[in-house]
Amino acid sequence: MKKTGKWEMAAMGAALAAALTAGCMTAAAEEEVTIKYANFNASGGQEETLEAMYEAFHEEYPNITVEIETIGFDDYFTQMQTRVAGGTAPDCYELNIENFAAYANKGVLAELTGIDPAGYNETALSAFNVGGTQYGVPGNFSNVVLIYNKDLFDAAGVDYPADDWTWDDVLAAGEKIRALDENTYGIYQPITFNEFFKVAVQFGGSILNEDKSAFTINSAENTAAAEMMISKVTDSNIQPNDEQMSGMGDWDLFQSGRLGMIPTGIWAFATFTEGCDFAWDICVEPGQTQKATHFFSNALVVNADTEQKEAAECWINWLASSEKAAQMRIDAGWDLPAISNDEVLASYLEITPPDNRQAVFDSLDYLTVAPIIEDYALMSDIITGKLSEAASGKLTVQEALDAAQSECEEQIKLG
Amino acid sequence: MNRNTWQKVRFYMVSCLIAVIVMIPFLWMVSTSFKSKGALMALPIQWIPEKPTTAAYEKVFSRFPFLRAIFNSLFITVSYTVITVLSASMAAFAFTKIKFPGADMILKLYLASMMIPTQVTLIPLFVIMNHLKLINTYPSVILPAMFRPFGIFMLVQQMRSVPDDFIEAARIDGAGMFRIFRTVILPLCSSAIATLTITTFMEGWNDYLWPLLMLTDKNKMTLTLALNSLNGQYGTEYNVLMAGSLISMIPIIIVYICAQKNFKQGIMAGGVKA
Amino acid sequence: MSKRKKRQALLQSVPFMLPSFTGMLVFSLLPILISVLISLTDWNGLDKLNPETLSQHFVGLQNYAKILTTSEFWQVLGHTLYYIVLYIPLVFVASLGIAVILNKNMRGITVFRVMYYIPVLTSWVAASLIWKWVLSPQYGIFNQFLSYIGIRGPSWLTSEIWAMPAIVLASVWKDMGFFGLFLLSGLKMIDMSYYEAARVDGAGKTKQFFSITLPLLTPSIFFCLIMSLINAFQLFPQVMIMTEGGPNGATQVMVERIYTYGFKYFKMGYASAYSWLLFIIIFVLTILQMKGQKGWVHYES
Repeated sequence: MKKTGKWEMAAMGAALAAALTAGCMTAAAEEEVTIKYANFNASGGQEETLEAMYEAFHEEYPNITVEIETIGFDDYFTQMQTRVAGGTAPDCYELNIENFAAYANKGVLAELTGIDPAGYNETALSAFNVGGTQYGVPGNFSNVVLIYNKDLFDAAGVDYPADDWTWDDVLAAGEKIRALDENTYGIYQPITFNEFFKVAVQFGGSILNEDKSAFTINSAENTAAAEMMISKVTDSNIQPNDEQMSGMGDWDLFQSGRLGMIPTGIWAFATFTEGCDFAWDICVEPGQTQKATHFFSNALVVNADTEQKEAAECWINWLASSEKAAQMRIDAGWDLPAISNDEVLASYLEITPPDNRQAVFDSLDYLTVAPIIEDYALMSDIITGKLSEAASGKLTVQEALDAAQSECEEQIKLG
Repeated sequence: MNRNTWQKVRFYMVSCLIAVIVMIPFLWMVSTSFKSKGALMALPIQWIPEKPTTAAYEKVFSRFPFLRAIFNSLFITVSYTVITVLSASMAAFAFTKIKFPGADMILKLYLASMMIPTQVTLIPLFVIMNHLKLINTYPSVILPAMFRPFGIFMLVQQMRSVPDDFIEAARIDGAGMFRIFRTVILPLCSSAIATLTITTFMEGWNDYLWPLLMLTDKNKMTLTLALNSLNGQYGTEYNVLMAGSLISMIPIIIVYICAQKNFKQGIMAGGVKA
Repeated sequence: MSKRKKRQALLQSVPFMLPSFTGMLVFSLLPILISVLISLTDWNGLDKLNPETLSQHFVGLQNYAKILTTSEFWQVLGHTLYYIVLYIPLVFVASLGIAVILNKNMRGITVFRVMYYIPVLTSWVAASLIWKWVLSPQYGIFNQFLSYIGIRGPSWLTSEIWAMPAIVLASVWKDMGFFGLFLLSGLKMIDMSYYEAARVDGAGKTKQFFSITLPLLTPSIFFCLIMSLINAFQLFPQVMIMTEGGPNGATQVMVERIYTYGFKYFKMGYASAYSWLLFIIIFVLTILQMKGQKGWVHYES
């Protein structure tokens, strides 16, 4: 009788290990399970892709049936909150960053124990880790890059933006482009919390202190950042004010060829490819004392009350990090999967325009996560409100940030 | 030109002018529904699409279980409208012609219930529906039609204008309450009932938040719900949305045209003489 | 009424009142009572709604006290009143005009009736884009039109003073067909014999309008006034889509705040208290209107 040699043992061991890590359902739970999954990310055109992903998942795990609900973005959170409060939330669902902290902190999400962190992009995964507990996995991710109109740069005789540009360089280029024409502008960057917290980091500041126990909104660095953001509208006017925008959207302004630069999300690529009849390209967002780039990610979470926790975790883990799902996502031109596998991501690079797609991945080196606290929406609205008042001249920048600081301290409890 | 013709011309001119003003967004919807993907929301507005295409309409039909959604919408909205009209007209009749004790107070109670924004009663109502095990059933969106204070109040106003003499005459003739309701009141209020039918149908057809919460089953989805799923996180396919919305407006317009034929000039003279 | 007649009337009314009354209890009164309880708590709107959760979060009248002492409440109330004062007269005049125009029986009137109702059916998504364009300071026809009469139009939706009038314009445009329909059906119910008698007496068209049409239309007018007031206090979708409460909070109105607190900031208890304060305001105003109706509303019976 042949004795099982050590190679065979090793092979068996490896196969066993592979089976255990690849399959997320333990042998005990092989029964037929049906779970419900709700999302908004597939709405607006990607339902078929999501369906196809599910088919692939179901092939691998035929005992798990997923009932998928795709709901329009605007009403998604009203209905999700209602269902959670009413006790009928689905087994797993999607949340955006704004709402994630609130849901996690109020105990309606299950702690995720059955996922494999190694398959994920570290920064993205850390965004959904609250106080050491993993409450969600990043289902997708997109980041923000600086998109610029090459033709306008040529006309103004300015070198194209490079990855090492600071805001000083951007403002200088913006002025030259602004000088081309009365109706042409250098740059458009919304004066909102979303942009501000990132620019603050670029200037060396931040909204909260290190351990998130206090607000640091009116620090000197933040003030410098806000001054830069606002003065380019009110002083040099290389950025149009609201009246000059006249109701037009920023993307439409760019597509009409009258805007030199726009920092915006990579999800704009598809729209700009169709809508721009001039040459354009991208590069990493400018920094000041350091670089910081945005990233957006939606969390896939599990309902704390679900009776099918394993199956739910299995599905969201597959959806977010499996190679198959990732590849399908990229091929469909949807958004990026938040995975750590560079090979899969490589195929993304091959699609043009824009030529410099590499900038999307270079930006990953400087990712800055939003300051996620429980009262995220309130903090965001307060700060955006005060910045708008400064932009319309009602307050000075310092007054605005001081007011934002005191209002946040008054209305929001931290830590 | 004689005076009569001049009046007619003037009438048509004024009406057309106002009609154009009133229809502009509608024209934008039509124009957008024939555009291919692109700068749909750019200003200034591009009224005639550069390359008109029916692609958006094709998408509407292929993407949704379209027939199913229309059937659901029709079934739900028609039931909803019928129940509203019946319940509201019965209640209005009781309030105005039976004059039972406490009528005034209850009417004020009905009216008061309209003063609370639905945002804060949304979750409590959801919880109640859950306890009644009505979630994901057709009754969950149809039964609330039993109580529509808006319609009740409107019919109350119209019924108050019906002279009591008619009721007296019928009662002397020996008719019971239901008979009076059916043969005297309803015909006299036909234009009010027609109006109620139109507005109720429209509201029921276009309702989305409540059906969104109640009907989680794909097979029960209404057309309006299906269209809302076009609204994405990063952008909305406006051409498909407009195409779908235009199609969705058709049944309401049909109901409108049919119902407003009931706007006969009040013919009350001759009612008392018999 | 005698006791016997009263009892008889009560019994007769039961079958007619049953559907709406049951509906009211289940779908309206019960949720409303629950929302009163919620307003006495600091419930976040996310934890499961049941008696334990509510008692855990009980805070008594704290929400009410807080709201009434913030300047935000009074500012928002001011915005809402600003809207109402502009909107109600305009929508009334416009609806009446439409009803009169559509009351003719000329050929093709059905086509016109449909056209005037189309804004009511148009979604706010489409309507708000068009209005943003119409009121655009640079590209819009409204300001161009004003310049022909020598007025320099403001930057409507981005101006703190003019944003609300802009919303009023858009709302009137959308609602005038809606209320016009009610007034039209009211017009239709006016007995022709009155007009005939008046014509025999020699009264002209204008006299007929003011002494027959308007008085007999007052029940419908009253209805439209009350309904438009209740609706106007609950202004919401167009604000969310056209200005999102801006610029700088100039178009923040009560329901917008209620929705934001309840569904964005997870402070449902606070939102419920807010809406009860709104309720009290609407209720008082409506009662005043109803008391006032004896002075001018004319019922035929």
